[in-house]
Amino acid sequence: MSIATQKSISNPPGGLLIWIVIYLELLTYGIAFIGLAYYGSVNRADFHNDSLLLNRTIGGINTVLLLSSGFLVAKGVFAFKLKELTKTSRYFSWAMLLGLGFLTLKGFEYYDKIMAGISMDYSSFYIFYWLLTAFHWVHVLVGIVILFFIRRSIIKKQYQANLMDIEAGAAFWHMCDLIWLLLFPILYLIF
Amino acid sequence: MNRTINKSYIALILLTVIGVSMSNLPQSISITGLIIMMAVIKFIIVGFQFMELKKANSFWKALLIIYGILIGSIYFILLK
Repeated sequence: MSIATQKSISNPPGGLLIWIVIYLELLTYGIAFIGLAYYGSVNRADFHNDSLLLNRTIGGINTVLLLSSGFLVAKGVFAFKLKELTKTSRYFSWAMLLGLGFLTLKGFEYYDKIMAGISMDYSSFYIFYWLLTAFHWVHVLVGIVILFFIRRSIIKKQYQANLMDIEAGAAFWHMCDLIWLLLFPILYLIF
Repeated sequence: MNRTINKSYIALILLTVIGVSMSNLPQSISITGLIIMMAVIKFIIVGFQFMELKKANSFWKALLIIYGILIGSIYFILLK
């Protein structure tokens, strides 16, 4: 693909459609982020106390897991461009594994909260916590399924696998990172 | 390219560790501001390096930067 084509507004990496999806998702989350920040500014003390019930270390480890997974997906796309298919497949497998690690750790956190009686009706903070993190959790799960099919397509079709499909799937995965990078500080660190 | 991805990853992990460590310090405007700033920087690094937005049209780059800075500014204004 020529540099001029790449630089075209209608041809971002992964294709136009995935970027429209990404920005619509970011817009939706953005509205929720602003809502969370606004209610947090109004009920600062309550939000602070509720935020203290979250484990920052677990949040931090989850961030590292997601970022590491995103890193491996980026390496996988790069390896595919170099026609190193075995490497690509390996990178994607590890990325999925780290993604599953994120889901599992989040699952433990959810279990811990439910056992402590901290459900959605516990407080305003936890309405945001449950809605935003659960919605994000589902996105990560969908991302893993997409990575699985991309990897399968690479194994089956070898060099005929479509680069744009792979980039689009990778972009969806990175979108989960983007959302988490703005969600994590406001839920776990700032209040 | 490969080296850039590696460097970006190291920067992302370092910023995450620093951000989590700083959150344990007593709350202040500067700490809050720094944590938010690091989150926005990480957001832009992922977009530009991992999603390869650096190769895309300026429109897509601008949209991501504006979004990150806008959300970061709103966080800071409301929660400082």
